[in-house]
Amino acid sequence: MRYKILYWEDIKEGEKLPTLTKEITTTTVIATAIASRDFYPVHHDFRFAQKAGARDIFINILTSGGFVGRYLTEWSGPEGELKWMKFHLGVPCYAGDILTMTGKVVKKYVAGDQYLVDIEYNFIVPGGSHCNGMATMILSARGS
Amino acid sequence: MSPGVYDELKTMVGQEQPEQVAVDAVCKHMIRHWCEAMEDANPLYTDEEYAKKSKYGSIIAPPTMVQAWSMPPLWPAREMPAVYKRIFETCAKAGFDQIIDTDGEMEFFCPLFLGDRVHVVTKVGEVTPEKKTSLGNGHFITLESTYTNQRGELVCVQRVIILMYKAREKG
Repeated sequence: MRYKILYWEDIKEGEKLPTLTKEITTTTVIATAIASRDFYPVHHDFRFAQKAGARDIFINILTSGGFVGRYLTEWSGPEGELKWMKFHLGVPCYAGDILTMTGKVVKKYVAGDQYLVDIEYNFIVPGGSHCNGMATMILSARGS
Repeated sequence: MSPGVYDELKTMVGQEQPEQVAVDAVCKHMIRHWCEAMEDANPLYTDEEYAKKSKYGSIIAPPTMVQAWSMPPLWPAREMPAVYKRIFETCAKAGFDQIIDTDGEMEFFCPLFLGDRVHVVTKVGEVTPEKKTSLGNGHFITLESTYTNQRGELVCVQRVIILMYKAREKG
């Protein structure tokens, strides 16, 4: 199977990344919590989550980060390397929400022998922004 | 207001919890379970043939999975590290007994390969006075974790901000 390679030369500042949507089911919330070894009950126990002030169980921070990683390398292809990421969590992403992942290239530059892009992303749920922030990726370059 | 809690939290800034070592070495099964749950099709994580021909030469773990390796086991339960225990107990006795993550940051230095063992040291960073939030009033606490592999090579530096809060009464 062949996978795409997105070259640094072909990226433009201001370019939008394709939007990715994912239905976050109760099963997704629990499967991601268990895959990330997080047994805190707000991620699997509805009654516990409600007592904590939440309307339903919601995805954990490792999963929000995991979706950022997935979103960025799905765009860049597997050769793209995540170097740094930072995000703020807004409203929780609850079971039943559709998570809409959006992003934009805000800067491309070269540092040493690395061909870099800075990406601003915003992951949205019906309640507002779930997770928004910045990431730096190292891309392949035709000239390298 | 809770000046007592804030004063006590401030004394914890800079405190380190002793190094924790991951129960499981990096393995393809746990990677696959992560990819399955996240629906991440990156072949570097699961396709041995592809990964062999890549610049890494073999399968790597998803970088954002780093913390998953060092999560404490559900059973047999480990005693909570003293630094965390102090934060939670100090906050809980003043009614800030709920916890939620609000911010994350990760910088990656070298990938994790199959068989690697994650080591982590976590330090208390900044703490804030009581703040009003949509969930209820609480204190923000930054935790800085340094992840290394079994050879002591730096894998990732992570900062997470947690909010210890009083759940708002539901009307």
